[in-house]
Amino acid sequence: MRANGLLEMDSYRLAAYTVPCPCYICGGGNNFDAELCRHCHAPMALAHQATSQKIHPRMIAAVGPSGAGKTVYLGMLTDMLSRQDENMQLLARGAFSIRLQQNAMASLGRCEFPHKTPNEPDRWNWVHCQVLRKGQRATELIMPDLAGEALLEEVDHPNSYPVIRQFLSKCSGVMVLVDAPRVESGDHDEDFHTMKLITYLSELSADKKTNWHTRPVALVFSKADQCEHCFDDPQAFARRHTPGLVQQCRERLKRHHFFAVGVAGACGFRSEPFGKVHVPLRIEPRGIVEPFKWLLDELAT
Amino acid sequence: MRRFLPKTLNQWLLAAIPLVLLLAWLLNHWLLGVAAVLSALCVLAVRNPKFEGNWRRLPWLQKLFPQPAAPAPIQPAPVMPAPPPPPRRIRRHEAGASLAEQMIDQGRVALLLRPQVATSLSAADLEQAQAALDEAMAIVPQGQVAMRSRAFDHADDENPVRAERLIQVEGFFLDRFCVTNHDYEQFVADGGYEQMSLWDESIWPAVLGFVDRSGQPGPRYWENSTYAANLADHPVVGVSWYEACAYARWAGKRLPTDPEWVKAGSWPVFAEGAKPVQRRFPWGDSMDRKRVNVWGSGYVSTVAVHAMPAGASVNGVQQLIGNVWEWTSSTFGAWEPASRKIETALPLKSVRGGAYDTYFDTQSHCQFQSGESPLARKHNIGFRCSLGFCDVIHQIDQAAEDDADTRNTDRLPTATPEEVHA
Repeated sequence: MRANGLLEMDSYRLAAYTVPCPCYICGGGNNFDAELCRHCHAPMALAHQATSQKIHPRMIAAVGPSGAGKTVYLGMLTDMLSRQDENMQLLARGAFSIRLQQNAMASLGRCEFPHKTPNEPDRWNWVHCQVLRKGQRATELIMPDLAGEALLEEVDHPNSYPVIRQFLSKCSGVMVLVDAPRVESGDHDEDFHTMKLITYLSELSADKKTNWHTRPVALVFSKADQCEHCFDDPQAFARRHTPGLVQQCRERLKRHHFFAVGVAGACGFRSEPFGKVHVPLRIEPRGIVEPFKWLLDELAT
Repeated sequence: MRRFLPKTLNQWLLAAIPLVLLLAWLLNHWLLGVAAVLSALCVLAVRNPKFEGNWRRLPWLQKLFPQPAAPAPIQPAPVMPAPPPPPRRIRRHEAGASLAEQMIDQGRVALLLRPQVATSLSAADLEQAQAALDEAMAIVPQGQVAMRSRAFDHADDENPVRAERLIQVEGFFLDRFCVTNHDYEQFVADGGYEQMSLWDESIWPAVLGFVDRSGQPGPRYWENSTYAANLADHPVVGVSWYEACAYARWAGKRLPTDPEWVKAGSWPVFAEGAKPVQRRFPWGDSMDRKRVNVWGSGYVSTVAVHAMPAGASVNGVQQLIGNVWEWTSSTFGAWEPASRKIETALPLKSVRGGAYDTYFDTQSHCQFQSGESPLARKHNIGFRCSLGFCDVIHQIDQAAEDDADTRNTDRLPTATPEEVHA
């Protein structure tokens, strides 16, 4: 009996293996039981959910240089929207979609910033969620927490991270995070990294109808709590401190807007055996939802 | 001929009434007649001296029916220049009373009750000042309070971070409400930003930079040295630690210390032979967003200082938690173990209590300490003042009695600062 059973199972699996399961991000074929895509390391759950629920989620990326605050921003955004019961709600699809929120909130609740996102794509957190808005149809979204260093590596050496290229090619909109205090202090690296990202996006597609010229881009000054006047007028802040970026956006992007966000009310440093650690003194989110809402509005038009 | 013509509308109306009556009789139109009679009655009524006082209040009526000229005096008095007012011989009591009332209105009761000043006040003024103090400030009895590290909640029992220190706090008064925009306006209007004696000498260069949106002296979010009309009873925000200190000095008070603030909120109780039992929140040990204005309470900004009475502490101090962070006089990080000291470019001052945008419950309870640069003028940081028992006269006796009662009841430890590692 036991032998017969095994034979039946094997034949079933063999049959399943003959049908490739395409990855939702890169489209590469995978086995039906693969957890991650063997080509781009995106979770195969995205593809399974899309098939079983008969949905076609749109993709939004949060990109920016390393240390710009992508993980904190995405974690905060998902947590805020999942706790609100008015205007806009976010419902996670799949347990894996809550991991980013859980990690980020656990750290911020202890007055610590989350650990740096590792460069290996198989260790990234992906969020697949449903966004419900009053008087509008529900929107299915996929938002990964990409590693900043991997992003810059891909920008400098295209195709080093296929998952990033594939994902950004398919993205409907993007939030570019820029470290406001570094920009204000005159650190031009931040400006250059962001300009590289914009250039990279612009070159992704040659099709005039679908290239990044027509897709919405929210330029988000993060950590703006440390330079409060950034909140007053982010556009003016950008003109004053990142003139190159402003010019690039004006020429390359038809739909873009500047925003300022802050998560920590104040910050300090703590000396640890491995170096100084940046610590938030309290958590008071400001302007977190606005860029996301603008992006959704732009996608709806 | 011209002098016989009516000159005012009033006279024209009176002249027209008989004509209208005649017309009504000729045309046999009774409605016209009624209208004319009513008009005549109205005109007579407003010309009646009985209504003089009333019609003076309506300028358009005065224009319509000018007041009849007063009859000329039979022997007009020669026009003499007004004699200069005699020098005011103000009795000491009267001067004290008016000043006392003014100071009570300004919220500067503490100055009146200082031992040096209170002796020169009348009994009535003193009573009024004491009543005002009772109304504005709550008594916090002397005793010990356990001060903890920021990471206390997240550390294991064996972790040195769990160490807590027992600090002795003398009895004091604490403002029941945060200082409001209206309160602070009294300070600004009284020239608080120009009275350099109120400011630390080291900060004098910065005082010129403490301006509002219009460049006038005042909190950061004001305009033309005043606040938005609907925010009179909201806590004043956009003030630096130095501005808070200057206001407190002007009002005859001071900022509370960190242990004082924690004691007022957590209201420690010492059971015999046990660790102090301190409330996590002024009303108990669990967060209730209906009692406070923090993120998720349903407000997106500050609320009036008396808006949430259910969140008051045992002794009636309101909004210690939520609405705005509150400056204290202490330095940030004093309760952290050496291994977890937080470094900043500038020494920070301690803020307590959380604000309307504080996200986590773990950061808006009585024990949580955050810090801010003393020069920062943030949108969510305000303050309240305190006053030592020893700084006021008379009250001290009653307060000391209350204090002694509490001491007997709770059997507080002796008044020596002590460090205890739990």
